[in-house]
Amino acid sequence: MTDKCADLPANLEALLAEFAASGVRELHLRRGDFEIFLSSDASARWSAPAPGAAAVAPAAAPIAAPTAAAAPAKPTAPVAAAPAPRAASGPVPADALIINAPNLGTFYRAPKPGAANYVEVGSKVKAGDELCLIEVMKLFTALTAETSGTIHSVLVDDGEMVEGGQPLFALVRD
Amino acid sequence: MAIKRLFIANRGEIALRIVRAAQALNIETVVAVSDADRDTAAARLADRSVVLGPASAAKSYLDPRLIVHAARESGCDGLHPGYGFLSERAILPRLCSAQGIAFVGPEPDVIDALGDKLSARAMAKAAGVPLVPGSECVASAADARREGDRIGYPVLLKASAGGGGRGMVIANNRDEAEAGFHRASAEAVAAFGDGTLFMERFVPEARHVEVQLMGDGKGQVVHFGERDCSVQRRYQKLIEEAPCAAMPDHLRAQLHKSAVDLAASVNYRNAGTAEFLFDVRRQEFYFIEVNARIQVEHPVSEMISGFDLVQEQIRIAGGAPLSVAQDQVKLSGHAIECRINAEDPARDFLPSPGRITRWDPPTGDGIRLDSHMSEGAMIPPFYDSMVGKLIVHGETRAEAVAKLTDAIDRFTVEGVPTTLGLHRAIITHPDFIANTIHTRWLEQVFLPDMAAKAA
Repeated sequence: MTDKCADLPANLEALLAEFAASGVRELHLRRGDFEIFLSSDASARWSAPAPGAAAVAPAAAPIAAPTAAAAPAKPTAPVAAAPAPRAASGPVPADALIINAPNLGTFYRAPKPGAANYVEVGSKVKAGDELCLIEVMKLFTALTAETSGTIHSVLVDDGEMVEGGQPLFALVRD
Repeated sequence: MAIKRLFIANRGEIALRIVRAAQALNIETVVAVSDADRDTAAARLADRSVVLGPASAAKSYLDPRLIVHAARESGCDGLHPGYGFLSERAILPRLCSAQGIAFVGPEPDVIDALGDKLSARAMAKAAGVPLVPGSECVASAADARREGDRIGYPVLLKASAGGGGRGMVIANNRDEAEAGFHRASAEAVAAFGDGTLFMERFVPEARHVEVQLMGDGKGQVVHFGERDCSVQRRYQKLIEEAPCAAMPDHLRAQLHKSAVDLAASVNYRNAGTAEFLFDVRRQEFYFIEVNARIQVEHPVSEMISGFDLVQEQIRIAGGAPLSVAQDQVKLSGHAIECRINAEDPARDFLPSPGRITRWDPPTGDGIRLDSHMSEGAMIPPFYDSMVGKLIVHGETRAEAVAKLTDAIDRFTVEGVPTTLGLHRAIITHPDFIANTIHTRWLEQVFLPDMAAKAA
């Protein structure tokens, strides 16, 4: 195993293949600023992105960051909330629909780490389409669009805590 | 480890009280709010507030997973539950513990054990704390007579399977005990299919007394004297005092010892209150229950002890030992608190949420106001209607009553009806001044009188 770690992430594919075939349930590796957590449990997830964490997900072996690493309190982090839009195509039009978080939780743009995001800026969505996940203590709830339109902007970074009522997306209706 | 950043899982005046206590200890604060509480005093004063979810308490203040998630993600290493909401639900400290967050309160197993009435009674009995004298199963009228004679009249005959007052009879003497057995047993059979009864001494005019406790979780417990909370309506306390002036010193010493013994026997950690029924005629007290949290009426104990109980709670949760020994707790004078609710006593205490248009409280020596209100503040309709607690301290009970009367007279609130006027009428009533009241006095004597006068 040590040899394979030597020039990560170059040997990542080989490692993933071996992990998937090995029957090992979880693997946590850190080398310098590179860190990876592999888990065969599809429900294992990030609760918060650890600094320097990386994730790649082959279909066979879902990957998640260790919740233990993120679990202890982080009293050194600044206390103030981090607001502001993250991804947008120009200013939000006045008639855009702002989609808010129904409750506090951690915001995820993809159904699982490494998978494609539910939506991107410019994505066409229709009512009922899933937009993101909101996680509360390992319970994941999908937020769905109530109306059809085009995603104009994504207002929160993946893995960030959002508050109840916080704007997540701006949607321009068809 | 001392707490560096405290999460406050509550609202209203107690959230503000906890923020201030934490700030006095140089601890950062994060207040959880619902959508309806974004602009509250606690949220403004804290370093940060986080919106949990919608106004409905079930989707915000009553969701333990949401709260612990928010505490963890906001980098908190301690959590104070306040009172009410989840403060006595063991799941909250359990979730906290799994996330490495210090819970400001007792161990979850102790919360569970004390929360169950039967197990709490068993713990009290084991610690030598007096319980209401009562019987085992009573199977016949002859049994009822014998047990009644032993317990002392009046007695309450209760259905073992019972509840809601059915199968319940009060007997004032031996004959009534026999007749009562037949009636209660028949009622119990009809209502629950089981005629088994038990008997308990009935205390018609009891006072509610309670002892403020603080434990280190290792068997050390100190008390901060007792409170008398006998002015109640529908089991809700309206006015609280410290000390219980109606209790003689020798009985008071026994009361304190009982409470401390009980808490010490379970290695109680943090703040708690042991509640008792005080039978004034017999000069006896009986254990009711332990409240495993800081209580609404804690300020009266702080006023007579000069000790900040909430700061001590936070220190203990951070692993500190008790900061005082029992002989360093000095109690002096008399304190009274009235809970000011946005309710209309003239309309059967109808809760009256709305916007405060004028808020002009009294200030002065020995006057304390614990409130999150100010001019323009909103009382949302989703939660309890308490707008604050007015507390006074005087050398004697009479001085405290006079000071509270004067403080109420100088307190102007406009925009919503409040119970301030009711409090003034209660504390100036001859029965309250003579201190002859009991837990049913407000409902049986005072309120009917008031209604008759208004008619």
